[in-house]
Amino acid sequence: MATNTINLSPIHSTSSLRSLSFRSSQNAPSLSFYSHPKPSLTFPSISLNKSKNPTKPRAFTTTITSAHKNLTETELIAVPPLPNEVNEKFPSDAGVYAVYDNNEELQFIGISRDIAASVTVHLKSVPELCSSVKVGVVDEPDRAALTQAWKSWMEEYIKASGKIPPGNETGNITWVRQPPKKKPDLRLTPGRHVQLTVPLEELIDKLVKENKVVAFIKGSRSAPMCGFSQRVVGILESEGVDYESVDVLDEEYNHGLRETLKKYSNWPTFPQIFVNGELVGGCDILTSMYEKGELAPLVKK
Amino acid sequence: MSEPHTHTHTHTPTELEPEPDMGVTKEQVESSLKSKMNPSHLEVIDTSGGCGASFAIEIVSEQFEGKRLLERHRLVNGALEEEMKEIHALSIKKALTPEQWKQQQEPEKSNTAA
Repeated sequence: MATNTINLSPIHSTSSLRSLSFRSSQNAPSLSFYSHPKPSLTFPSISLNKSKNPTKPRAFTTTITSAHKNLTETELIAVPPLPNEVNEKFPSDAGVYAVYDNNEELQFIGISRDIAASVTVHLKSVPELCSSVKVGVVDEPDRAALTQAWKSWMEEYIKASGKIPPGNETGNITWVRQPPKKKPDLRLTPGRHVQLTVPLEELIDKLVKENKVVAFIKGSRSAPMCGFSQRVVGILESEGVDYESVDVLDEEYNHGLRETLKKYSNWPTFPQIFVNGELVGGCDILTSMYEKGELAPLVKK
Repeated sequence: MSEPHTHTHTHTPTELEPEPDMGVTKEQVESSLKSKMNPSHLEVIDTSGGCGASFAIEIVSEQFEGKRLLERHRLVNGALEEEMKEIHALSIKKALTPEQWKQQQEPEKSNTAA
């Protein structure tokens, strides 16, 4: 019989927990639940009462006996159909949450720094699996407390059902937010030893006119090779701009680009940013526009 | 009879050859901008640590009147056309008209007076 392994990344974010075995310099916290008011709803809240007398470090115990509001006793809250209504029903606090499908089958137990935001993301990505949710707000939400609360719910479910929630199995990435994959940089030519049938100026012209935003940078977007290019990449990505990047230092696939581009744009330095086929400028201009709030309207036109 | 003695003078490079190119100086950048842009305020900072490879500029000129930021930067780049062949990086921090400069200075004056 195949054995399932637990996915040890319950946090719904790009930063996942590396391990669940950690040590505390104090006694294991006792967890007590109390009502956490929210419009017409109450959420169990896990508060940590740390012992005043620190003893020698010891591992946290895995079973929490003092929690009188466990997973089965926690109220199941229906998820509203529209993502923008989630904030009205769920807290924006840190804690644990358990997601159930239409058949009230548990799909995933997660940790979040903002439960409402996590539920919203799940509702958008897997609406068919996100019908109702149980919430446990953690009162002092350090990583240890959050993980401990998650472990207690996980163990309770595994003990009762004999299985791991499907979304928590290793390899299941349905519920864990994946970092966006970086686009590859564009190459203007098949290689420096290939004879071009079209002048490089024409290739540049075609490129900037066929793509909304093009950044000619030193290095790649994943590893810019100068501070100015790094800043430009940072600004474009923080604005969520869908842009194409071209590495002007790539002499293999963009041979002669630097000098040709300087003539084409009548601009002597890099990076260079084009929007709708027009040169916007370099790092200084882009930074200035970004700081004044002029960039977003331009790139989203 | 012995061959006439030919004296070969070995010289050090500094005697006859020009010094190796030390890049563009801050003074050169200032001089070019002053002559071509007639600025009412100019600040040039060598950000390369002395090798003349990169500069930051703050410039106020009447030539910027009615021109958008890209065109203003083009004017500065054009004024430094020769220097740009050797400058690795040029950061134009401010390119303002005298009126804009005056407006920027007023809040600063009131802050320092407070």
